[in-house]
Amino acid sequence: MAEVRLVDIEKKYGNFLAVPKQSLTIHDGEFLVLLGPSGCGKTTTMRMIAGLEDITSGDIMIKGERVNDKPPKDRDIAMVFQNYGLYPHMTVRQNIEYPLKLRGMSKVDRKARVQETAEKVELDALLERRPSELSGGQRQRVALARAIVRTPSIFLMDEPLSNLDAKLRVTMRAELKHLHHELGVTTVYVTHDQMEAMTLATRVAVMRDGKIVQLDTPKKIYAEPADLFVAGFIGSPSMNLIDGAVQSGVFRADGVELPVDLAGCKGVVLGIRPEELDITEDAGAAISGKLYALELTGESTLVTLRNGPSSVCARGHADFEAEINSPCHLAPKDGARIHLFDRATGERLR
Amino acid sequence: MKDRLLPYWLLIPAFIIVLATTIYPLAYSFITSFRAWDLTKSRRPEGFVGLDNYLYAAGESQFLNSLWVTFVFVITSVILTVVLAMALALLLRRKGPMHTFTRIILILPFAMSPALIGVSYRFMFNPEFGVIANGLGAVFPALQGVPWLADPQLAMGILVLTDVWHWTPYMTFMCLGGLASIPRETEEAARIDGASNLRIVFGIILPQMRGVILVMAVLKTIFALKMFDQVVTLTGGGPGTSTETLAYFIFNVGFRWFDMGYASALAWILTAIMMFISIWYVRMLLSERKMATA
Repeated sequence: MAEVRLVDIEKKYGNFLAVPKQSLTIHDGEFLVLLGPSGCGKTTTMRMIAGLEDITSGDIMIKGERVNDKPPKDRDIAMVFQNYGLYPHMTVRQNIEYPLKLRGMSKVDRKARVQETAEKVELDALLERRPSELSGGQRQRVALARAIVRTPSIFLMDEPLSNLDAKLRVTMRAELKHLHHELGVTTVYVTHDQMEAMTLATRVAVMRDGKIVQLDTPKKIYAEPADLFVAGFIGSPSMNLIDGAVQSGVFRADGVELPVDLAGCKGVVLGIRPEELDITEDAGAAISGKLYALELTGESTLVTLRNGPSSVCARGHADFEAEINSPCHLAPKDGARIHLFDRATGERLR
Repeated sequence: MKDRLLPYWLLIPAFIIVLATTIYPLAYSFITSFRAWDLTKSRRPEGFVGLDNYLYAAGESQFLNSLWVTFVFVITSVILTVVLAMALALLLRRKGPMHTFTRIILILPFAMSPALIGVSYRFMFNPEFGVIANGLGAVFPALQGVPWLADPQLAMGILVLTDVWHWTPYMTFMCLGGLASIPRETEEAARIDGASNLRIVFGIILPQMRGVILVMAVLKTIFALKMFDQVVTLTGGGPGTSTETLAYFIFNVGFRWFDMGYASALAWILTAIMMFISIWYVRMLLSERKMATA
């Protein structure tokens, strides 16, 4: 039962509060992603779990045991670093073998275990090479192998894919997902890439300024973002956020008139995802403006229209074509989720 | 066309200066090393004697002694300097006001002139009024009145000490530069993998510092081979010839005994040793680079 509990943990660097007091429970076997922009405290939080960073106050419990004062090696964790953290003077075999060697495992057992692990991550042909002779993807695999070889209770992964090119990242993402399914080890994963978070996570903790602003399943976070920040951060292309006001149940902004489930409120931001908008010929549609840009992504076309300062993006059919600057109209699809946020506080209203 | 030639014209003055101050004396001394030239008898080099000067050196006990003295000095001072510098750098690697302050004052010994270091240490080790000699005597009564610089082994020890004291700071900075280039992740990964501090230093940090340590060792070797200033001002090569390094012996042959032909041959022997080390060093460095970029 490898559950990780952070109880009222806080991290200060001098007077700078990097992570304000907060609690978080990571369930056994869960893939929890800490997601947020750079500098939001997600890596610090992970490093505190690893024991690489002291905590200022609070408790860290791993498998029900308080580990605040335990060095990293006694926490039964393994970590994968963004820059791989491989030992450049050792071969792939020696890199993978190192944690086993430090634990005093016999040479014969070590060899068998390294072989088995290398096969799991398809490295068995490269065991005698040095890290400098490997590609980025291969290096990351070595780092993974070194982490899984000693079967720890918890994996910590600090942006492990961010140094890889886009194509490789997608491949490695699937490999990570498969590996988690196969090993079932509790995993904490730090990233600023919302796509990685959505695809990998059992639950996502979205962080901002050191605080977790929403902790939920990817589906729930996508469907019901807790505030304006999460709404804008999750989804690609991101949610349309339109500044306006609600009067007698109708949201109004430049070129936008949409009935909503709210009586009246000034300073409202309406959010609607591009894939929940339809392009229509109807001049009386909820959103009107001039066509600003068309971007073909392959499976669809992103249609951006502008009216005054606000621009709205919709995902249209791949075959959609129109003249730039021609009038364009958008209407929410049936059952589309319309989100309303307080502009001042960012809080969700509906 | 004119623009293409301009850089060469601009280089000519510097080239002439290098030619006049380095290449010419080198060539002149090389030729002199094959001639007899007693400065007390002639103002100009005399006849060619072939390899006589070199052959004479091979059998002369004083030269062989200076070679041995230099060897002992180089080995001890290089090892001590590199080890101490590495240890200090590991201690000073962390950032903080105290570390910054220590780093700043650390450079002071290196800023001192070697000749001055020799004079200062001679005073400090004077058995009657030397601060170190008296201090040691006060703490360890057995060391009271020890004639530090009059004992061959102790004099060599103090010569090495002054050199280590002089060079360790600079080498520490080289180590700090090397340490800064080691990715922090390798150390953290080792910590998580279960390595102790000692294992991290010997198993993870030092292997990655191989290149830097090699550069330091070779540089220090070349400088130690040329050891002269402190010998002049601290021991004068004595007691006897126990601290007479090769450079000091060459100086004596040339400027005390005025045997310029023999001194030139000796100087070229020293140059050959240093060239040999330099070539070996460049080769090592190139092969290391090849490994790193492979």
